[in-house]
Amino acid sequence: MRTSLNEIKAIEDHLFNRNHPADSLLFQANLILNIPLRDKVALQNSTYQIVEQYGRKQLKAEIEAVHQKLLNKPNSFMQRLISLFKK
Amino acid sequence: MQSKPINTKQSREELFTTLYQKAFPIVAKYVAKMGGSFDQAKDIFQDALVIYYEKVLSNSVTLQSSDKAYILGIAKHLWLKTYRDNAGNIPLDVANVDQPQEEQHQYASNKLMHYLETTGQKCMEVLKAFYYDKLPLTQITQLFGYSGTHSATVQKYKCLEKVRDTVKQKSLHYEDFLE
Repeated sequence: MRTSLNEIKAIEDHLFNRNHPADSLLFQANLILNIPLRDKVALQNSTYQIVEQYGRKQLKAEIEAVHQKLLNKPNSFMQRLISLFKK
Repeated sequence: MQSKPINTKQSREELFTTLYQKAFPIVAKYVAKMGGSFDQAKDIFQDALVIYYEKVLSNSVTLQSSDKAYILGIAKHLWLKTYRDNAGNIPLDVANVDQPQEEQHQYASNKLMHYLETTGQKCMEVLKAFYYDKLPLTQITQLFGYSGTHSATVQKYKCLEKVRDTVKQKSLHYEDFLE
């Protein structure tokens, strides 16, 4: 892998606590000295959060599709449930 | 008892259909009893399913016959958190001071998500498969048609780099836009 991808892997190992204690210490020392690396770590952390948001959004769309499918089925239990809320 | 994997689209559809049939009626009855609407019951239930899915994938809960009770527990918690602790209970100073900043942040975040969904969807799907659905490497290799697991791993890091660069560029851009 090229250098920048190895660095991304190293940041990931750091963020996911996958490093051995010695490597972890070295990385933390590097973080103190290397400000651009610190920025990259913060950005990569944001990237994982965005991937999580994206995953949730897609999952909610899948759940909504199931909801609509069940709702549009004639005489389904969903129709009976709606009547619970009609007063 | 459910023992098959749930992290593919087809298996999720089966799982959510089953859970809807098993657990949505009791959640809906609970929300109706508490004076809520059908749409509120739906929102609460769907959020509970998201939490349930994430918990199962992180191995902090196993799929078993008590999943109905587990989902009802989450739903009740969400109901109380969302509709009992309503905005009226938030101190005025906190509500007023933080809201515009939060709205701006949300706006920038939505813009960024929209950008990634339209221009970087392939990478977002690859990253979702790795980090959100936690699919095994061999399955990801097959799903996206990579030549091998090494190639899939390299692609993961390339996508991380691409999305990270976009986050950096767009964050700066939206900050400028908001200021």
